[in-house]
Amino acid sequence: MHSVDFFDTRIIEGTTTSIVLDNGKIEQISVNFTKGAAVRALKGGSWGFTSADGDFDVEKAIRAASELAVSMDEKSPKEKVKMQDIASPVVSNTPKIKKNPLDISLEEKVSNLKEFGKHAKKEGISSTSAVYSESSYKVMYTDSTGVEGEYDVVRTGFAISAVASRNGMYQAGRESRFGVTGYEIFDKYNASELAEEAANSALQLLDAKPAKGGNMPVILDPELAGVFAHEAVGHASEADLVLEGSSVLENRIGKSIASPLVTIIDDPTMHEYGYFPFDDEGSQTEKTTLIENGVLKSYLHSRETAAKLGGTPGHCRAQGHSKPIVRMSNTYIDNGSSKFEEMLEEIGNGMYLIGSRGGQVNTGEGVFQFNAEKGYLIEDGKLTTLIRDVSLSGKILEILNNVKMVGDDLKMNSGRCGKGGQLVPVTDGSPHLMISEAMVGGA
Amino acid sequence: MYDLAEKALKAATKYGAKEAEVYIMKSQKTSVNIQKDMIEGAKENITTGIGIRAIIDGAVGFSSTNIMSYIDEAAKNAVSSAKTQDADPDWKELPSNQKYPTVSGILDKEIQNMELDECIGYTMEMMEAARKTPGIIVTSGSFSRSHGERLILNTNGVEVSEEGTGISGFVDVITNAGETSTAYDFAISRKNDLDFAAIGKNAAELAKQSQDTISIEPHRTEVVIHPFAFSDLIENTFIPSIDADNVQKGRSNLIGRKDEIIANEKLSIYDDGLLEGGIDTGIADDEGVASRKTTVIEDGVFRSYLYDTYTAGKDGVESTGNAARNSYLSTPSVGSRNFIIDFPSCDIIADTDIGVYVNTVIGAHTANAISGDFSVEARNSFTIKDGKLDKPIKSLMISGNIFDMLKNINGAGTDVRKVGGTITPSIRVSDMSVVG
Repeated sequence: MHSVDFFDTRIIEGTTTSIVLDNGKIEQISVNFTKGAAVRALKGGSWGFTSADGDFDVEKAIRAASELAVSMDEKSPKEKVKMQDIASPVVSNTPKIKKNPLDISLEEKVSNLKEFGKHAKKEGISSTSAVYSESSYKVMYTDSTGVEGEYDVVRTGFAISAVASRNGMYQAGRESRFGVTGYEIFDKYNASELAEEAANSALQLLDAKPAKGGNMPVILDPELAGVFAHEAVGHASEADLVLEGSSVLENRIGKSIASPLVTIIDDPTMHEYGYFPFDDEGSQTEKTTLIENGVLKSYLHSRETAAKLGGTPGHCRAQGHSKPIVRMSNTYIDNGSSKFEEMLEEIGNGMYLIGSRGGQVNTGEGVFQFNAEKGYLIEDGKLTTLIRDVSLSGKILEILNNVKMVGDDLKMNSGRCGKGGQLVPVTDGSPHLMISEAMVGGA
Repeated sequence: MYDLAEKALKAATKYGAKEAEVYIMKSQKTSVNIQKDMIEGAKENITTGIGIRAIIDGAVGFSSTNIMSYIDEAAKNAVSSAKTQDADPDWKELPSNQKYPTVSGILDKEIQNMELDECIGYTMEMMEAARKTPGIIVTSGSFSRSHGERLILNTNGVEVSEEGTGISGFVDVITNAGETSTAYDFAISRKNDLDFAAIGKNAAELAKQSQDTISIEPHRTEVVIHPFAFSDLIENTFIPSIDADNVQKGRSNLIGRKDEIIANEKLSIYDDGLLEGGIDTGIADDEGVASRKTTVIEDGVFRSYLYDTYTAGKDGVESTGNAARNSYLSTPSVGSRNFIIDFPSCDIIADTDIGVYVNTVIGAHTANAISGDFSVEARNSFTIKDGKLDKPIKSLMISGNIFDMLKNINGAGTDVRKVGGTITPSIRVSDMSVVG
């Protein structure tokens, strides 16, 4: 009935609640219910895609996507796209939700948020905010080859930020925790303590000194090193970027691209914020080793890139009803055996960079830039002056090769990753890393 | 749409809202994507959704849905969220019915009725223009056209209904011979007046010119900042500090600094919701306040924050028409409209003896939005020597503070660009730190 080579449909239905606390006062409570469908159709080498909101007609959406694909194929014919055949996914080992957030009253959520939010309001803090959010979604997938699957996922989390000010200077501190858990996230993490930590970081930074830029040896804390793993290595491993010629990791499978101390993994099956049992084109997920002991082992694949380059699909994701693209999940640098103290001793003089205010990467040229939350000068193996507004930049492959020590203290951090205008939940993590030379930027 | 909105307002009132507002958005968008020198496919997205604000004694509850049979439930949720909160004495009221200005250049029937063939044609034009430069691959790109309608209704008599169109093109290219270099270009408009070939050509030529780089030593110098890089910096550092919400919450460097000189006396900045054909032009903002033009900086003097109705009520002033929403899924918050940077223009490169030219930056979102400090990686940058672009620079970090920068602006080009909502020429800033 549809004159296309392949089509699939994804229906997502669910609800999101978020509560925003600002300077101790509830600023917003928002409850959303959404339902929608995303439909892809493939004809020859051309994709047609439609998305529809609300009370849609799936058959109509499939026809519309098919018409787009057929029409594109007529107007700009090109090499046929092959989709890797897959079996229907088996949904097992799903995260167990102990306290379903939908069973807890809005009043209780509001009073909990107010209570822990209070702890950020310390002497010297000029403003605070805290957010709680939860979502509960059902995802249903089918394709024209008979693959079918469905799963439910609950995500909850909270974030707290505090701003300290003194004499026209402002510094911010932030803590957040998100996961594929229910309301028990508040049993797992002490939100009040984290609120105090956010305030302490902001206050501390008021007395920090601006950094002096230059090339130097550095130690990255688990959070910043995790951002490096995600931004610099993870994105460059996305096979769609490799295929379009935008990755420095093109043609490097099986080659040594990093210090032998470095192993980097992306694992969607981990019960962290980036979890999913099958991806947004029906592929079963599994743990994927990107770099093993310095050698590039695999890219991250969709069914299309896996068929083209050879590999295992399972990393194709979409935000809501968008068109799925190759994405990461839970990405981390695996533990080594070094201790932080040994790194300090080894480095002598340099800088310790802590936390992240985000970053960007140009995977084609293989360059990146991240801003750390703060840093410390390292002098004679000791942490001395606290530094603010410090950034790290460089070439991905140089930094990977300059890793001289890998800690044994892996820690994961949750966040959201943007690509192609779509945000998806992810985590990244790492133990402490010691890097023999990196470019540190400052004010 | 109107009937649904009325139904939602009635439902919210029935459940106990003292005031209520309904925002309905409907949009239809077609896009064509390029991947590695090929048209990969086409997309059509149809979005319809409704957001309901229910207010009881200043406590605001919000609920949204795209399932029209859920409207009653959404209204009920919005009201019960409002009931969960304490009263807010700072809340005055929702905007009332008012006289709206007329605006022009935001709806183009050619875009509204554009067929897929034409969309493909423009996409090919961009790609082919890029490929005319030898040694260039178009890694990715996209064309899009959209048509949208919004309807805002509230219990104070506001009824705003407006439609508009948009069109845009973007390409990202890489060199495949010699030194690897990348570049991008994009353009966006409300009218079908974009030069798609120029987008492809500009990106390709820039990538080519950025080859055979040199390294430079860290120093302080004059930096000429392209509209792409300048708008990126200003949106992440300056605009947050004039947002009245940030000011009232103690998160701005401009608290209590109205009528103070904060910039070079030749610099003026306007926020204009009425600009002919502007990306953020409309008769009203996203809660139904009539659009207007606000002077933010006048001859170097800081004049006004940007307000929505709530923050204006708190300060006892009028809203500047700056309530903005990303979609029907969220309540309005303060956002800039068309943000116009005005400085006397000259042939800015020819006017610069020695310095650095920066096309784009990466990492502007990592700036400290309160203090205005930033440290970003500059891309496609060049040395300037004797009034000419000289050599491309391999890797460059620029860092500084937006408030120092505003004072140190000492020139602007004639190359005014609409970078989304920010409209700016290239800007020259003295004494910036560059690290090669």
